[in-house]
Amino acid sequence: MRNWGAKKDLTLAQQDMFLRISQIVKGNGTLSNGELIWRFEVQPSPLSRTYNIRLEYTRSGTPDVFVETPDLDLLVENRPLPHIYNNPVRLCLYMPSTGQWCPTKRLDQTIVPWTFIWLYYFEEWLDSNHWKGGGKHPGEEPQPPCNRRQRRALAHL
Amino acid sequence: MNEMLRPNLRPTDLQRRAQVFTILEEICQELELTDSQFGRAQQAYEAVAKWLAESSDPLLVTIYVYLQGSGALGTSVKPIGVDEFDIDLIAFAAAASTNISPTALKKAIGERLAEHGTYALMLEEKKRCWRLNYAGDFHLDISPTISNPNCQFGGELVPDRKLFAWHPTNPRAFKKLFDGRAALVPKLLQPKVAMQRDVASVEPFPVQQTIKGILRRTVQLLKRHRDHYYLDISEEIAPISVIITTLAMRAYEYCVKRHVFEDGLDVIVETIRMMPHFIDHIYVDGVKGYAIWNETTEGENFADRWNSEPARVEAFYDWHAKALADFEALRDLVGLDTITKNMKENFGDRVITSVMAARTNSVSQARKSNSLFVAPALGLSTASSATATPVPKNDFFGD
Repeated sequence: MRNWGAKKDLTLAQQDMFLRISQIVKGNGTLSNGELIWRFEVQPSPLSRTYNIRLEYTRSGTPDVFVETPDLDLLVENRPLPHIYNNPVRLCLYMPSTGQWCPTKRLDQTIVPWTFIWLYYFEEWLDSNHWKGGGKHPGEEPQPPCNRRQRRALAHL
Repeated sequence: MNEMLRPNLRPTDLQRRAQVFTILEEICQELELTDSQFGRAQQAYEAVAKWLAESSDPLLVTIYVYLQGSGALGTSVKPIGVDEFDIDLIAFAAAASTNISPTALKKAIGERLAEHGTYALMLEEKKRCWRLNYAGDFHLDISPTISNPNCQFGGELVPDRKLFAWHPTNPRAFKKLFDGRAALVPKLLQPKVAMQRDVASVEPFPVQQTIKGILRRTVQLLKRHRDHYYLDISEEIAPISVIITTLAMRAYEYCVKRHVFEDGLDVIVETIRMMPHFIDHIYVDGVKGYAIWNETTEGENFADRWNSEPARVEAFYDWHAKALADFEALRDLVGLDTITKNMKENFGDRVITSVMAARTNSVSQARKSNSLFVAPALGLSTASSATATPVPKNDFFGD
């Protein structure tokens, strides 16, 4: 995964710096022991709640986005949440292996804005019960551009 | 000028409230007569007026037909579950003597309408008026009136409910009074309003300035709230529109002349809060009763029936308490889903689904065409700016 495309992967320090200077990221981060953790607030629209988000990113190249508060379980009232990874609950913001996200890209320009739209559609879904944000479910992803197992193995190196 | 004591509102609160106000405006636009409907209604009633005036009956020759009620005031609201709007007309027989009986004048108008091939087929007799049905669009309710020589404000007389006697009324002066009050512009806290204006034109949620004024919108919203509140109650006890309109216009004038408001939503809530103060407590034959006076004539108590049907009194106060609580909640609620839920409960699923879907749709369209941004302190926006971050294409994944 290191050599995806022509660009070089951004380092955790670079990602940290971009998050710090981003005007849309209201929060603070720590970078230690090869792990970048950012906590910031997201209010997707003026009617929306303000969500406290935790973004975890390591050199593995896969950012994890958690909603710390409010408790999503309390809001969904026993319905299955759409477009999340379980155990623990994280937001599924992009389709893996498509290049929508890769470590050459800036978190503040991808994962962060996608968190805004996820939360916007989430609140809309809470009311309408229809997910209007589109997306794909496992099994619907396109054929990856190269051998998947190989790439996964590389990513864990 | 009093500025009411309230906690300091943060910029995000002001933006949220401006959005709620905008949605309320959109609800009213969705529920009222469209311009083309209004145009058709106007054409229809002008034709009726001409037909009546061309009669050989001397009673009808000087008849003057004009709009009254919500059509005249700009406060129409589509009834729930019915396709047609009510459009109320007055057929003022200016030359008729006060000796004429309500039955005779009503009969003369009905006979003339029945002489017309088309009107005869659309005509329906109601207790106090004639109705012409324009199916699927609106119906015209035509009430006969004569002039009221005892009214110092140039009022008229309309048949009472039993079509037995004449009863004072003054729709033209009422409209003038209402329009005058609706034209009063509330004072909003200036610096905050200016701040709001910076983000005011930002799609996909531009903040709308209400064109018709806050009073008209308040009346429309309250009427809709009432219609919805009484949807499942079969008893005829709901507060009538003229009561809501009268109390709202008096409360609005009172508040606007005395207070400085945070924003439009604040004006709506404070107006609703003040409404019951304009109900007079009177004695009718030694018994405690209620009066909501028509200020434009003498002797018209819009709450007349409250005194013979006490269930109406309770009905008004119950509804009013609920309306005030619901609008206060709308002012303070946070969360797209909770706000939408409150609005659906109070104004009906259909209209809210339609208004809210349009908003989500504008986000989705912008996202599709790569023109969606995240703007600092605002969230999703379709306006590009130096500080805004574009939302790149993505597909949400997972179960």
